[in-house]
Amino acid sequence: MIVNNPEKIKLIKDNLVYMEDIVVKFGKVVALNGVNFRVGKNEVVGLLGDNGAGKSTLIKSLNGYHRISAGNIYFDGKHADFTSPKDARDAGIETAYQDLALVNLMSISRNFFLGRELQRNFLFMKLLDMRRMDEIAARSLKEVGLRNIRAMHETVNFLSGGERQAIAIGRANFFGAKLLILDEPTAALSVTETEWVLRLVKEAKESGLAVILISHNAYEVFGVADRFVVLQHGENYADIKKEETNPEELIEVIAGRIKK
Amino acid sequence: MNSGRWKKILDRMLRVRVFGAFTGLILIMLIFTILSDKFFTWDNFISIFTTSSELGIIAIGTCFLMIAGEFDLSVGSVFAVAPMLGALIANTGVPMAIAFITSMVAAGLIGLLNGIIVTEAKIPSFIATLGSMMFFRGVLLAVSGGFPIDYFGEETGFLNALGGKIFFGMRASGIWFVLATIIFSIILNQTRYGNHVFAVGGNAGTAKAVGINVKRVKIINFIIAAVLAGLAGFTMFGRFHSIDPTAGQLLELEAIASSVIGGALLTGGYGSIAGAFIGAFLIGVLRSGLILVGAPAYWYQAFIGVILVISVIFNTKIRKAVAG
Ligand SMILES: Nc1ncnc2c1ncn2[C@@H]1O[C@H](COP(=O)(O)OP(=O)(O)OP(=O)(O)O)[C@@H](O)[C@H]1O
Ligand SMILES: [Mg+2]
Repeated sequence: MIVNNPEKIKLIKDNLVYMEDIVVKFGKVVALNGVNFRVGKNEVVGLLGDNGAGKSTLIKSLNGYHRISAGNIYFDGKHADFTSPKDARDAGIETAYQDLALVNLMSISRNFFLGRELQRNFLFMKLLDMRRMDEIAARSLKEVGLRNIRAMHETVNFLSGGERQAIAIGRANFFGAKLLILDEPTAALSVTETEWVLRLVKEAKESGLAVILISHNAYEVFGVADRFVVLQHGENYADIKKEETNPEELIEVIAGRIKK
Repeated sequence: MNSGRWKKILDRMLRVRVFGAFTGLILIMLIFTILSDKFFTWDNFISIFTTSSELGIIAIGTCFLMIAGEFDLSVGSVFAVAPMLGALIANTGVPMAIAFITSMVAAGLIGLLNGIIVTEAKIPSFIATLGSMMFFRGVLLAVSGGFPIDYFGEETGFLNALGGKIFFGMRASGIWFVLATIIFSIILNQTRYGNHVFAVGGNAGTAKAVGINVKRVKIINFIIAAVLAGLAGFTMFGRFHSIDPTAGQLLELEAIASSVIGGALLTGGYGSIAGAFIGAFLIGVLRSGLILVGAPAYWYQAFIGVILVISVIFNTKIRKAVAG
């Protein structure tokens, strides 16, 4: 991919994520129809929109889960040819999915390290280093504030919604991600757990990460995000800096009653 | 001792994944020991172990595949296809070792075919492998004309190493059964690949999202299931030096039953190889015990059915308690 427009080169270099004219189709359904999206370095972007607007599809096309039908994706200054979520994780994108976060019947530490298991040599074999994985998972989860921490061999089935998000966030910290994507992390959480997760988003920003936070709750995102991107029917609808708006107005924009 | 301590001990026992199957096995053995004085003897143990081995080797592959969330109903047919192919090749004068390897490769190719049909054409494995089960059984019957095929060669050393008598009346198949159990237990619980098998069966979408190649894991497991079925067939061939085209019928269901008795979840993502081992052995115990207490042979299947359902009820309760 050769880009020779100097303005565009600057945009690609200045942003962590730069996506242009993204099209994603599922059979005949056009989920994304030419969407542009960018995330600055160390920026927290609130990604908003009604049900079915295409938020999840957009982040899944960024992290290699979906193949895009058209458009370009640049990550960290380079054209991103992620053919699988593994490529995206290796490049530094950690995602907490709305629907695919964890394997319920597997243990906390196995989930924490899934796809990136630590190994040790034993005779001629490479075996899982369960002890180290347990230790690291326990430490990382403690750091993100997982209270009354459980045995790492417990299945994640027993965890609350907030604790599940904490695994994804702890994972991003430990593996040194550059971008953390949270898809409706607070959808099923209690008030205290919501506050906890939002605080973790702030901490992630303080530690240098960029964050994409998907949510339906304008008040929630408003507290932590620097900028808001609103999608509607798979197209860009609004892109507003925090200074230029307020939660009440944001709700009107998401609902499609105001266009900014 | 206080009740908290007992609770802890119970919790720890329930966490051993084969707890349910093992308890069931002990209970059933106890009953048969009371009912027949010929049951709890070395000779009988050996004979149970021999018949369990052939089923058990299949069950290990089936269980491994079930944990990845798929079924293979064709293993009973592959159980006969591999040794029949081996016999036909060896009867032309080719060394048995080469005939064996060729047959294992053929079994692996059947597994590969099953895997590709399931993952690429996105057909439920139950249907896809029902098809290949019928297809290969049909081919067997057509090629053999319905008659057993005998091995005419002199070369019995290799066959004996697979299914012949070794020591204390034990047969070699028992060694392969134990070896396969150990190897696949280690792969499943201690390796990265095993971790991916659990993830693929537990939630294929999540597995894909963390970068696991879901199709590849499934295809490899189909190949393993088929190769182990072929190996099991060869151990029986090693016992009789002859192979019947109807051999292995219903073994696919007994293998699934073994896995389920051993705690494997039909929907994938949960189970253990040691459980499948105990499940297969339990079915062998049932077969032998019923004969020894003088029950008509027909009762055997009826009892397996009962045991299967009871064990699923218990295993489900145990799983809910320890894994949610
Ligand atoms: N795998 C898929 N196959 C077919 N259609 C899909 C698939 N995933 C999403 N879609 C469709 O694409 C559109 C966008 O869906 P998407 O999940 O991205 O919306 P969303 O903004 O995340 O909504 P929500 O707020 O409900 O999570 C919807 O019309 C949806 O039905
Ligand atoms: Mg969504």
